[in-house]
This record gives sequence, structure tokens and C-alpha cells, in this order.
Amino acid sequence: MSEVVLESLTKAYGDEVAVDGVELTIHDGEILGVVGPSGCGKTTTLRTIAGFETPTQGRVLFDGVDVTHVPPEERHVGLVFQSYALFDTMSVRANVAFGLKMQGVSTAERRKRADELLALLDIADLADRRPTTLSGGQQQRVGLARALAIEPHVLLLDEPMTGLDAKLKTRLRDEIGNLLADLGVTALYVTHDQEEAMAMCDRIAVLDDGTVEQVGTPAEIYRRPANAFVANFVGSSTLLEGVAENGHVDLGFTELPVAAETDGSIRVAARPAAFELGEGQIEADVTNVTYLGDRTQLTATLPDDTTVTLHADGSDSYRVGDSIPLSIDADRVHVLESD
Amino acid sequence: MSVRSSATASVRRVATLAAATARPTTERDRERRRIAIMCLPFFALATVAGFVPLAMLVRISLAEETVWIEGWSLEAWRTLATTAEYRWVAWNTLWFVGLATLVSVALGVAVSHVLEKYELPFERAVVAAVSFPIALPGIIVAYLIIVLLGRQGLVTNAIAVATGQSALDLASATAITGLFLGYVYSLLPRATMVLRGTYAEVNVQAEEAARALGASRWQTFYHVTFPEIRPGIVAAAILTFRSGLAIFGTVLILQSHRVLTLQIHDEISVGSYDPDIAAAIGLVYVAFIVAVTFVGLRFIENEAVEI
Amino acid sequence: MTENTDSTGETIDGSNVNGESNGAQNERCGPNATDESKADRDTLAGAARGGPRPDGGTATAAASGEWSRSETAYSTLFGRPILVGVVSIVVAFLTLPVVVTVVSSFAQSATGVVPQGFVTLEHWRQVLGFGDYGVRSNALPGLAFSLAIATGGMVLNVVIGVPVAYALTRYDFVARDVVNTIAILPLVPGLILGIAFVQTYPEHGRSAVGLIAGYCLLKSPYMVLTVQSSFQSMDLVRLEESARSLGASWPRTFLTIVVPHAKRGIVAGAIITWTLAAAEFNFTYMVASGSPDPFAIFLYRNISNATYLQSAAAVSVYFLIVVAAILVLQVIGNSGFTTTRQR
Repeated sequence: MSEVVLESLTKAYGDEVAVDGVELTIHDGEILGVVGPSGCGKTTTLRTIAGFETPTQGRVLFDGVDVTHVPPEERHVGLVFQSYALFDTMSVRANVAFGLKMQGVSTAERRKRADELLALLDIADLADRRPTTLSGGQQQRVGLARALAIEPHVLLLDEPMTGLDAKLKTRLRDEIGNLLADLGVTALYVTHDQEEAMAMCDRIAVLDDGTVEQVGTPAEIYRRPANAFVANFVGSSTLLEGVAENGHVDLGFTELPVAAETDGSIRVAARPAAFELGEGQIEADVTNVTYLGDRTQLTATLPDDTTVTLHADGSDSYRVGDSIPLSIDADRVHVLESD
Repeated sequence: MSVRSSATASVRRVATLAAATARPTTERDRERRRIAIMCLPFFALATVAGFVPLAMLVRISLAEETVWIEGWSLEAWRTLATTAEYRWVAWNTLWFVGLATLVSVALGVAVSHVLEKYELPFERAVVAAVSFPIALPGIIVAYLIIVLLGRQGLVTNAIAVATGQSALDLASATAITGLFLGYVYSLLPRATMVLRGTYAEVNVQAEEAARALGASRWQTFYHVTFPEIRPGIVAAAILTFRSGLAIFGTVLILQSHRVLTLQIHDEISVGSYDPDIAAAIGLVYVAFIVAVTFVGLRFIENEAVEI
Repeated sequence: MTENTDSTGETIDGSNVNGESNGAQNERCGPNATDESKADRDTLAGAARGGPRPDGGTATAAASGEWSRSETAYSTLFGRPILVGVVSIVVAFLTLPVVVTVVSSFAQSATGVVPQGFVTLEHWRQVLGFGDYGVRSNALPGLAFSLAIATGGMVLNVVIGVPVAYALTRYDFVARDVVNTIAILPLVPGLILGIAFVQTYPEHGRSAVGLIAGYCLLKSPYMVLTVQSSFQSMDLVRLEESARSLGASWPRTFLTIVVPHAKRGIVAGAIITWTLAAAEFNFTYMVASGSPDPFAIFLYRNISNATYLQSAAAVSVYFLIVVAAILVLQVIGNSGFTTTRQR
């Protein structure tokens, strides 16, 4: 496994800039998640690492070696797609052994290694079946085994779980996450689902409009979003306008003991968990109630007319029009860098 | 100066492109080379078997001496432009093929509609029956018309027995009506093939939604179904018309109406050997087909086109 | 309006010809499968009366704009039977002469409404060159020659058609639309191509190679379209990228992954182009120069200068070939001679 470095990577199609100066490092043995809305350049980034796109500017390095102009077949990257893209004309075993065949590995050795991988992914009994006869989850396991068979420098996963149903997704996610960690695979995990990324990845890069907005561990991204975009994309946040002064932030209707780097007009991001319901000086008017079983999601208006999303326990006692008292936990509020 | 430098620049750009295609460094260059390689065999054949012979036709039509193809002359084109008979043949072809197209497409809509919307007992057999004739060459179609309407034909004899008239008087295979049916026989399956493809893609949910919103059946058809199949109808009409123009075997045997293909054939027959005129007619004809196709395609998406 | 429509629905259901059991409330309830398919059928009734009149005109009712209640009911009562009637006539028109031809090829005489005197193989014997009179050219060498030429055209078509179909489906490039049009629309008819061919290549135009090249070009659109639809129905880009990321070079990917996945389309295209080439007349008529007579010329002679029943046998020979081709197509999952994959 290798370390992958993207140096000021830019990819333009005519006037359309898909990726704009991306700097990213995937450390050896790390799973780096790339999240962002559709069209943010995450798939283009992945395809550039695989070699299917040549960047307009910038370089791609595998363990310090420049592979920018190396064709895909010589890069040793593993690809796993949402649509599986298995070879329907071959058996499951032949699919897994395909990459080894291309490397000129002997038939017996290919078979042995393919069977090992199938066993590792818990689908040894499917070896002689055709991919079309398998379920979605099984096909994705085959896809993963096939990509891992060539012991790639880096494994690239492009929304691999999107086609699967919710329960299977959770199970497979944990299983694959553990497997990749055990094998020490360097992986890039592209997804639009931030929850999936947080569950599986060591670090997450948030992309928007072709640029990297923030890179960090899931906790860093969630607790200390760099800007409004990240705050909103990763989980829901309420952005509050305020004025910073002497280690305090004045929100107009309340003051928080939060330190900001500079004094003056600033914005703070508050997660739903930052609001404590039931007691406090702040009065919020409930405008919408959504009962979600284990919790109740409320939409309410703060005194300065900001709309805020709140999580209450699973009681059904809230009504639209209620006025509820609340307080803000200063430890869970994060001051955004000026942007 | 600036003209020259921009010309130099574009030459350089083309040269760079060609060099990059020959020795690619980026994936995009490699892709361009692949496209070139994959299109090459087809274009080699199209050039040798299509473009060069067409160019030869142009040369023949302009030749003064048509056996050895020497000298230059506009005589053939002048004859073509000034002889009333050729205009008459062109008109004959256009109305006849146009009418056959209209009938074939109209019947094709009916067949496609029935196949798509009704539950029929022998649907596969019906599909086979309407697609089978695509494989039949024009001469066989002519024979099948003779089987129906010729002197020994099934329909002719049935009517003769029923009315007591002579089968010889009733035979209409070599009349213009027989030829017309022959055209419809060839064209209807082609029109149906395009229209069935269109019908398969009609949004049934939109039709249902229109019905649920209170549209009457006719309103639903007029506002929802018809706009969806209209491109298919245009595509079917273009392709049917093109195929109709190219019909030759059927006319050669039935001989009842002087259309363009028959005229071309006669121009190069022994006795009236005029290859320059045949070439000129052929070129006008090809140019017309190309024009109809491209103008027609402007009105529809290319994807709707099948043969 | 709503009132009106509902009551119309009732009238229609009351007078429903095929007696499906549904009523006004069903009509009102909305998306019930049976109900809706009937509604579509009725929608059609309006069009049917206008559309398929053999003279190509439009029905007067269609032009009158919004339909009144009684007209709708009227159209439902008659629309479907009329349409089914039209389609039945079409099917009869297309199939009847074929059946009569095959049957009469075994008959001894064809005077009267129906052929008589079964079963004789005399006409088949004559057609195939074992008879004592009539067109005595032995068909078998011609048949074999034509089938060999058609096979040559088919092979050449696979070689040129599959790559161009791939390029057109897989890549987006500047001249794509133009190339696509040239590849899928035969712009030059066989007759003209035949004339031009002989003039351009006086020495080789009439040879087997000339025929193969001509057949291939004339029939290539069928191959290109069939293979294209096969490529479109698979995840071409990702299959290819998977293979390449696993270390297969692009040519190897094309040969070991892309082509096998399109196998059905290629086989279907091959059968269609082969069958059509076997009987291509217009081009052959202009190009071929006897000895052995290609099959299309053999058919022409038998149709234009043989007895009625002998022609029937000759044409039946071709029907046999087409039926065999269609059966093979059915087996591999294409429904007949279409270039599009049916659902």
C-alpha cells in the first residue's frame, strides 16, 4: 500500500472547472472519505487518481513517484463502483482472478488467491456462480474482492453502498471498514452520504465546487467546521450572527462565553445538541414538529428570527405554536473562521 | 501578416493534435487515438466502396465520352434539366412514394398502438408477421403481389369465382394499384418497427395522470400521447420515404409506374446506353435522399432513428 | 366538466364491448391497472378512427375538437373493433401471400382459387436444378456462392461495424453526429452504388471481393445499430475502467471484456446482415455477371421467366433461409428482424 498525494490538482473541461487546485494526501493505510454535493468534483478527483482523467494542472504522486501520465492499466489502483461493473461473462472466481491473470500469475496461484479473497469476504460458496445471479450486496463483495486481488497501491471506492438498502448498508459498512483497516489498505472513499463517511473513514475531505473546504477527522469536521458550507453539509447546523468582544460573543438575545480570534462581527455554528430544551432564558416559537420515534425534531424561531433545528426526546407533547424555553451550551458552539 | 500568423498557428495546432494522437501522453490523447482507430476500418470501407464510386459518378456525369470516360461536358445535366420526361418521372416518384409512405406510417401507428395497448391472443405471431417482410427483397415482394393479385392470384380468382368475371380482366398485380400495394408491403414493416420503438417509450404514467386529472380519452391522446409519439412519426416517415425511394426490384418486375429507379435502370440498359444521364439522375437522387434525411433529422432527436 | 366526464365513463363502461367488469366508481378511483389500460385503449379509439384510414386522411370527428359524450361512447363501441379489424387485414395482407406461396410450391396445378394436387416436389426439384425443363440453371452452386459471399460480407461487417459502433457509443467527439448518421443511415441506395461500383472498379467490381465490399457497406447500418443497442444496455464505461484498473491494456480490454459482453448484439447483427445480404437484389443485379449466378439473380430469373409454381418454389427457398435466421434470432433473444432490443 502506498501514500497518495495530489498536488494542486486542476481539471477543466473547456471553461468548466471540475476540480480546482485540490491538495490532498491519503496516508499509507488510511481511509480518506471524500464528501460533497453532486457536481463538487469528487468523482473527477477519483478518476484522476485512477488515471482515467489527465489533470489540466498539478500532479498525482504514489509514494513520491509521479504517475500523472501513467495509463490506468499500469497504476495498480483498485476500483469499486456503485454499479459493481462485474464481468457478467465470467464466473465470480474468474472476476476476482482477472487482475492476477493480467499480471501473468499462474492459473493455480490465481485460483488459490481468488479463493482466499472470496473466503475473506465470506462468499467462498459463490465462486462458481455468475455475477448476474447474485444479490446487490454479494455483487459488491465480489467487486471488492476483485479490486483487492491485485494488491493495489490505493483502493478507490465510488459510492459503493448507494444502491443497497439501509440495513444491509450498515452491516456491510462495518464489515468492510474493519476489513480494510485489518488489511491496512490505503483507500479513497467517495460518497455523498456524510454519515457513511463518518462511520468508515479515518479522515474526511469536504469538497464543494471543485475545491477542498476542509480536511480532518470525522470529529474535527463535525465539531469544528471550518466554514458555513461544512457546518451545513456535515450534519445540520444553525448559523447565528453575532459580535465578538473580549472573549464573549453577543448574539443580541443572549451572550455566550466563547472566545473568537478577532473581535467584531462573526458567525457561530450550533449543532442541534448545543441547544438544551426545557430551561433557560431564550424563548423559541415552535413552527414545525416532526415525530421521528426515538426523538422529535422541532423547527423553531429564535428571538432574532433565526430558524433553528432542535432535537427533543421522543415525547409527542410538542405542538406548533408552543413557546419553549431553551439555553445554549457554549462548549458545543463553534466560531466559524471569517469567510 | 496577421492572417498568415493565424494560419500558421492553426497549422501548428493541427500538427500538434496529430502528433499527440500518434504518440499520446494524456488519457485524452489516448482516447482520441482510440476513436481514430475504431472508426478507421469503417471509413476505409466507406471510402473505397462508397465515396470513391460516388466521385466516379460525378466524373461520369460530366464526361464527354462515356465509354472511356474522357473529356468534359455538361450535356447530361443539360438534358436532365431541359427534358420534360425527367420532370415527369421525378413527380411520379415523389407522389407515389409519398402516398405509400403516408399509408404505411398511418397503418404503422395503428399496428403499434394495438400491439402496445391491447392484450392480443397471438401477439408474438403478429409481431413476427409485421417484422418478417423487412427481410424480403423487392423482387420477392413483387412475386407476393402476383400471388395475391396476378392472373393466377388468390384474390383475383376468389373475386372471379364470386362475380363470374374473367380472372384475366381482374388481375391488378401489374396495374399501378398492385405496385402501390407492393410498396406498402415493403414499407409498412419498416414504419412499424420505428413506431413500436416509440410506443414502447410512451410515458404511461403521464397518460394515467392526465386521465386522473379529468382529461377525456381524446384529450389525453391529443395532449399527452400524440406529442410523445410525434418524433417517432416523423422519424418513421423519413425512413419509410427513403426506403420507398430506393425500391427497385418490385418495379422492375411489375413495371407499372415509371419511377426514378426504373428510369436509371433503363438509361443503362442495352439499346439506350446513357451512363452519363444515369449517373446524373443517380447523383440528384442521392443528394435528395441526403437532404431529406438531414433536414428531417433536424426535427427529431437522432436517437429516434432506426432503419 | 368533471360531472360530464364521469357520466361519460359510466356510459362507456355500460356499453363496453369486451365486457370487462368495472364501473363508474372504478373509473373515479384512479390508477387501477385494468381500468387504466382500458382507458388507454379508449384514448386510442379517437386516434384510430382518424389515423389509419387507408387513404391517409383524417377523420372528421378528430377535427371537431372536444368530443361530446355521445361521440366518445360511439368511438369506444366501434374504435377497438375497427382498429383490430385494420390490424387483422394488415397481418393477413402480409402473411397470406407468403403462406400461399409455400403451399402452392408443393401443388401440381394452380388454376382456380386454391392450388390443387398435393403433394409434389416437382417444382422444388426443378428449381434446385434437377428438372428437365424451365429455367435449368442449377441453383445449388449459385446458392452456395451467394451464401459464401453473404458470409464474407457478414465477417467484414463484424470487423468494421463493431469498432465503429463502440466508438459511437463509448466516446463523445467532434464529428460524432456526422459519423453516426453515415454509419446508421445507408445514404446511397444499392442500385446507384452498383452502377458506380462497376464503373469505378471495372476489373474487380464484379468479383466476389467487390460483392462482399458492397454487401458489407449496404448492410452495415443493421450491424452498427444492433451492436450499439447492445453496448447501450450495459455499463460500458465502468466495465472497461474496471478491467483497465486491473491491469488490462485497452486493446485487451476491448477484446476480452467489451466484445464478449456485446456477444448477443454482435450475433444478432451478423444474422441480420447475413440474411439481408443473401437476398440483396438491387446491387447484385447491377454488379453480378453470371457464372455462378448469385442467389438474388437466381430468384429474379425464376420470378420473371418461370412458371408460377416454379417461382413459388424458388421464393420458398428464400423463406426457408429467413425462417431459419429468425429462429436463431429468437433463440438468442431478439424478437425478429429488429435492431432494437425488446424488453
